[in-house]
Amino acid sequence: MRALCLIFALFCLSTANARADDAAALREAYLQPLPGLDDAGRERFFRGRSLFRQSWVIAPADDKAAGLGPLYNRLACISCHQKNGRGRAPDGPDERMLSMLVRLSVPGRAADGGPKPHPAYGGQLNEEGVPGVPGEGRAALSWIELPAVTLAGGEKVAQRRPQVEFVDLAYGDLHGSLHSLRVGQPVYGLGLLEAVPAATLLRLAREAKPDGVRGRVNRVRDVATGRDVVGRFGFKANMPNLRQQIAGAFVGDLGITSPLFPSENCTAAQAACRVAPSAAHPELPAADLDAIEFYLAHVAPPPQRDADAPQVRDGAALFERIGCTACHRPELRTGPAPRFPLTAGRHIAPYTDLLLHDLGPGLADGRPDYRAGPRQWRTPPLWGIGLVPRINEHSQYLHDGRARNLQEAVVWHDGEAAAARRRYVELAPEARRALLAFLESL
Amino acid sequence: MNDNPDFSALRRRLLLALGALPAAGRAAPAAPSRQPVVVLTSYNDEVFSRFEAAFEKAWPQYRLQLVWRMPHDALPTLRQPRQSGIDVYWSASPRNFASLAAEGAWQALAIDRDGLPGHVGRARLADAEGYYAATEMAGYGFIVNPAELARLGLAVPQDWSELAAPAWSGRIALPDPGRVGFAPVMVDIVLQAYGWERGWAVWSAIAGNAGSVMEAGSTFVTDEVASGRCPLGLSIDFFSAAAIANGAPLRFAYPAHSGINPAHIAICRDAPNPDGARAFADFVLSAAGQRLITHRDIRKLPVRPAVYRELPADYFDPFRAAERGVFDYDGDATRDRLGLVAALFAQTLTREHGELAGLWRRVHRAEAAGRDVGAVRRQLEAPPLSAAEAADPALLAPFRDRREAATAPAANALEAQWQQASRARRGDIARRLDRMGA
Repeated sequence: MRALCLIFALFCLSTANARADDAAALREAYLQPLPGLDDAGRERFFRGRSLFRQSWVIAPADDKAAGLGPLYNRLACISCHQKNGRGRAPDGPDERMLSMLVRLSVPGRAADGGPKPHPAYGGQLNEEGVPGVPGEGRAALSWIELPAVTLAGGEKVAQRRPQVEFVDLAYGDLHGSLHSLRVGQPVYGLGLLEAVPAATLLRLAREAKPDGVRGRVNRVRDVATGRDVVGRFGFKANMPNLRQQIAGAFVGDLGITSPLFPSENCTAAQAACRVAPSAAHPELPAADLDAIEFYLAHVAPPPQRDADAPQVRDGAALFERIGCTACHRPELRTGPAPRFPLTAGRHIAPYTDLLLHDLGPGLADGRPDYRAGPRQWRTPPLWGIGLVPRINEHSQYLHDGRARNLQEAVVWHDGEAAAARRRYVELAPEARRALLAFLESL
Repeated sequence: MNDNPDFSALRRRLLLALGALPAAGRAAPAAPSRQPVVVLTSYNDEVFSRFEAAFEKAWPQYRLQLVWRMPHDALPTLRQPRQSGIDVYWSASPRNFASLAAEGAWQALAIDRDGLPGHVGRARLADAEGYYAATEMAGYGFIVNPAELARLGLAVPQDWSELAAPAWSGRIALPDPGRVGFAPVMVDIVLQAYGWERGWAVWSAIAGNAGSVMEAGSTFVTDEVASGRCPLGLSIDFFSAAAIANGAPLRFAYPAHSGINPAHIAICRDAPNPDGARAFADFVLSAAGQRLITHRDIRKLPVRPAVYRELPADYFDPFRAAERGVFDYDGDATRDRLGLVAALFAQTLTREHGELAGLWRRVHRAEAAGRDVGAVRRQLEAPPLSAAEAADPALLAPFRDRREAATAPAANALEAQWQQASRARRGDIARRLDRMGA
C-alpha cells in the first residue's frame, strides 16, 4: 500500500477517540489500536489484523494462507475470538463448539513440566481433519442445572455446570484422561499485560493479603529459550508470553506450524495425520508471526464508561470493600517494553493480578497445568467485560461459559474468594446492583 | 452412481476426515449421527459461522463441513475427480459459476424460487438454465468521510467521472484491481457505463488522483477513509456498511452508475449428499437465511425483496435503487473480459503509480494556468488497447480463469509488454510536458 495522504495521518487517532462515546461504535471497542501508532505501525497493525481474520486453507493450495491441519478446530483466529472478544459454549449437545475447545491430558507431567498430552489425541480435541485424516471426534456438551443460590433479600441465582460426552472418537476411547473446557478468551490489552514486569507478579504473589487470599505465579517453559519463566497468559497462566500464546494456538487450534512449534500436531497413534502434506516448513513464517504478535500487542483495552455515575462509583467502592480487588487488581504498571514501546511505562486498569488462585471445587477442572493445580485459575482481566453482551452477543462468563450473567460468575467464586463471595451474597440488593453496574462499566 | 470404488474410497476418506463415519475401534456414538454437507466457500468466519449455527439448528440431521478456498483456488478443487467430494459451492465469484456451468459441473438447483426475482436492474440473479442462484448482492460505490469532505469543501460525487477533477488529486483510496478481488467488476462498471474509450479516460484520471493504492482487502479502504488519510475510497458496499453500522462516522454513496456483484450457490453434479446440499441452498435463500446476512457485522444485500420490509429504513434496497437505473450494469455481458481489464488496469495505471499521478498533477497545473495541454491529456487518457483488440478471443483466453493475485504464466508476457508500453508512453508524455515547460 502506498499512502500519499500523509498530511491526514493525525486524524486517525482523533477520529478513533471521537468515536469512543458513540454507542454503536462500542461494538468495535475490542478492535482499536493503542493511541500513538505511526503510519508504519498502523500498516503492521492492519497486516496482523488481516492474518488474525484470515481463513486458512488445506494444503496443497495456490494460496499463501495454506497449511490448515492435518487436525484442527476452526479455520481462523477470529472463529474463537469474534471481534477480538469472548467465545461462548454451546447451549446443548446438538450444537457444535464454535468458539470453544477441550484440553486433554493424562495424569502426570510432560518432560517440560506441563500437562502430559494424551498419547492418542494430544493436548486438545481437534474435531476436524483434512481429507484423509479423521477428525478426532466431537465433544457434546450438556448442562446440568444445580440448586439456586439465595442472596440477601431473597433473590435466587441459578447455577449450571457442564457435562461433556465424547462421541465419534476416531482414535480410541478417552477413559482415564483429564479434560478441561475453554471458551475463546478476549485478545485486547495483551501487549500491556505482557509489559507488566515478572518482578511485579512475584511481588504481588509475596504480598500478604486478607481473607486467606494467596496467589502464586505459574512457572512455564519458554520454548524459544528453553527456560522456565513466569506464566501470564491462558486460563491457567500456562503461557509465558504473547508470541508463544499465538504460536501455540496456531498449532493447537489450526494445525499450523511456526518457528516456535515446527511440528504438525499429530500423535504417534495418528498415522494418516503424520503423513499428510504440510504447506511449508513452517507454515506460518516468522514474518507473519511477527505481524500477528504486533497486532495483538497493540489492540487497546476499551476504556471504562460511565465511571462518574454515582451507582458505578458506589459499585467500585463495594468491589474493593468486599475484597474483590485482592485478586482483581485495579491498577498495574507496565515496565520497559523495547519491542513494543507503546506498551511501556503505563498505568493500566486490567483488574487482574495475573496470579493463580484456588477457586474451590466447583470450578475445578481436575487438570493441573505446570504449577497450576486442578482448582487453580489465573485471575482473568475484567477490563472490557461489560461490553461482552453488546460485542459478542452473549453473556457467558468463566472459563467454560457456565455463568450466564455476571452475577452467576460472582457466585461461582469459592476457595480463596470464598470470603468475598460471602460478602457479595450478603449485600443488600441495591448494593449488588451497584457492584454489577460497576462491572458493566468496565 | 456412487458405486465407483475409487469414489467410494474418496468419499469415505473425506467423511472420515470430517469425523462423520465411525472408524474401526471407535466407541459407539451416543449422539445421533449427522450427515455431512460439504460446502466450498470463500466466506469469512463472520458469515459462515452464523450459517453453521442456524442451519444445523434448523436441520439437525446435517453437519456443515467447510472447505475454504479463494475463488482462484476453488476452480481446481471443483475440477478434481468427483469434485473433491464437495456438495455445495457458495461464493461471490460469478465467473467461477459461469465457467463451471459451461463445464457441466452443476446439477439442477431445483429449489423453490417463490419470492426470489430473476433480476435486479440488468443483473441476473439466477442463470437461465437453473443451475445456480444469487444468494446475496454487493454494490459498488464510494465510501466517504463526511467530516473530511466538509473540511476540504468537497461534495459527495454523484458519479465516477466527477472523481477525475483536480480537486480530488491525492484524495482517493483506490483498490488495485490486480490484487483485490472485488475490484475487476468495479473497473468494468465504469467501462460499460461510459464506453471503452471514455471509461479508460475516466479511470486514468481517477487513478492519477489516487492518494493510496490499496493492495489488499476492502477493510483497508474503509480504514484509509476512516482515518482521514483519504476522504474517499472506491469500494464494495458491505465492508463499509458493516463499519458504519458499528458506528464508524462514514457514509457509503452509490453513484449513478453502480453495479451488482452477486454471490451464488450451486449444487455439485457429483454431490455426495444432494439432499443436504439442497437443504442448505434452500436455507440460505429462505427468509431466515437472508436475514442472517443483514447482521450488522455482515451487511450484505438480500436477494429476497420481502426481507427489506423488515429492515431499518436506512438499509439500502437495491431493488428500489434499480428502478432509478443505478444497477444497469450487466455483468454477464462482459464477464469474459474481467481478467483482462483488471490486468490492463494494474499494469498501466497502478504499477509505478507515482509517475502517473505526477503526470496528472502536471496536466492539472498546466490547465489551471490556461495552458493548452489537450494533446497530452488525450495521450494520458487513451486506452491501453483498443476495444477491438481487447475483444480478441485469443487475448482474452489467458485471462479468463485468472483471479486476483493468482499466477497465470501465459498472461505474464503480455503484462510485461503492457507495463513496458505504459512506461514508454509515460516517458513520452513527460518529455512533451518538459518541452512545453509544464
